[in-house]
This record gives sequence, C-alpha cells and structure tokens, in this order.
Amino acid sequence: MHELSVALSIVEEAEEELSRQGGAHVSAVHLKLGFLSGVARDALVFSFGLACAGTALEGSELVIEESGGTELEMSALEIET
Amino acid sequence: MTPRLVEVRQRVLNKNDMAARALRERFTRAGVCVISLVSSPGSGKTAFLERVLTCMRNRFRVAALVGDLATDNDAMRLARSQAPVKQICTGTICHLDASMVERALEDWDLNELDFLFIENVGNLVCPSSYDLGENARAVLLSVTEGEDKPLKYPTIFQSAAVAVITKMDLAEAVEFPLEVAHANIQRVRPGIPVFNVSTKAGTGLPELVEWFTAQKTALSALR
Repeated sequence: MHELSVALSIVEEAEEELSRQGGAHVSAVHLKLGFLSGVARDALVFSFGLACAGTALEGSELVIEESGGTELEMSALEIET
Repeated sequence: MTPRLVEVRQRVLNKNDMAARALRERFTRAGVCVISLVSSPGSGKTAFLERVLTCMRNRFRVAALVGDLATDNDAMRLARSQAPVKQICTGTICHLDASMVERALEDWDLNELDFLFIENVGNLVCPSSYDLGENARAVLLSVTEGEDKPLKYPTIFQSAAVAVITKMDLAEAVEFPLEVAHANIQRVRPGIPVFNVSTKAGTGLPELVEWFTAQKTALSALR
C-alpha cells in the first residue's frame, strides 16, 4: 500500500548517491528486501517503474534479493557515466 | 560501456530514520514522553485517546497529534478533552512519517509537555515501516475485529511496545475469545504487555496510564 512512497524514497536516495559518486544514469538498483519489512515485492516493482520516470533512474532495473528479516536496504547501484 | 557497480548499503527509509532520530533527541531533551497509536480504522483509537487525555490532564501536561487522510473530525473530538490537539491531513498518504510530525510541532514548545500522543492513520500495514521518533508504539485491537488480527498483520504487532484490546464492553456480545487473542499477540510478539480496556466503561485505563507513566519515568532516567 505504501510501496509508492518507498519507491520514491529509493529514487531520491539513489539520485543523491549518483551525484556523490558522479555519473549520468543509474541502470540498476540492488535492493535487499526482508520478508518482515512490510513491503510487497510486486507492488514495489510496479511503483518503482513509475517513480523512475523522468529521473536519472529512468528505465532502470530493480534487482531484489529477498531475505528473512525486516531489511529494506539499498545494497548497491549500477552507474553509467 | 558496462555500468560500474557501487556498493551503497543504505536503509531505504534512511531519511525518515534520520528525521525520527532528530525528533527523538528533541523529545528526550524536552522530557516529553511520546506514545504513538496504531490500529486498523474503526478500532476506537480516537475515543480511547480522548478518554486517556481526559484522565491524564489533571496530573500531566498532555497533547495530541492526529493523522487522517482528510477532515479534522478527530482533532475536534479530541479537543473536547481540553488538551492541545493538532490534526495532520496526509492527503492520500496511508501513514504518518517523521517529517509530518516535525512540521506539525513547529509552533509547539515541547518543554511545556509531559506526554505527546500521536494517533497514526488507521492502517495496520504501512505505519509499521515509519519511525516517528516516539518512545513507545501502542497497537490497538478491538474485540469486534477478531482475535486473529495479530496473526494476519504480524509486522505492526512486532513493532509495538504495548498492545491494547479495546471495546472490552462488547466482548461478551461478540463472543470474543480473549485468551486466544492474548495467545496470538504473544505468538507474534513474545513478552509484550497487553491491556484489556473498555473506553466506554473506563476499565483497564488506570493500569494503562500507569504503564505510560512508567515509560515517562524511564525516559527521565535517561536525561
């Protein structure tokens, strides 16, 4: 239900990381998603596509690694220069 | 060109966590104990909170923030307790976040308060992900909802420090299996204190107010 808010946070935080690291475009976001995080995978993937539109993440892929805890962590970014 | 892989390892709701941490520090400095309330819509949060504010305001300086998608109906109801109350309208957002709380507190002097209650949007899913800087989160479950709610929505129960079963005056009429409900709560969140409350009759409230007071005492010890 709140996956769009979460997706917007991912985009915002990825864009900040991009400006810190330098680069033109984020092509993939690696995410660790816990079973107990309260975030639904399918809804997040759907919202992520919408949240990326018109940003430096446009068209980027969300690579999800599922885990058993409460993790909701951006583990890595793939950056294109 | 192959993209380069940059390790980040950052919690996604890091911004909210940071804002919540800043709030928690402010609350601690001001000596205000902050309790948030979460539950599904219609579990009796507002009626419960109105009664709690009324009970506590003789002994403590209490105030409340209340979140809803629209209307200030709840703030108007809570204002009957004579405590300072402010409504947060979230628009279409299904939960409160730390920045909304921060904005709502802009013109309040926290040093003037002993307790601040934050009533979240009625929702058992989303509020569990957002830290508001509160000292304790109370999850409410009404007897009309069914005793298996904790099993269906474990995350919110896991994130709570205390559970309150509300509308106990209706328990008999709806044949609410109280022991099963308690067992279910303990199954998803072992060791959590549980209070059985009837807002209407006032039963269970003095014990809960004692629990709130103990949280405040524990907080004062930290200062």
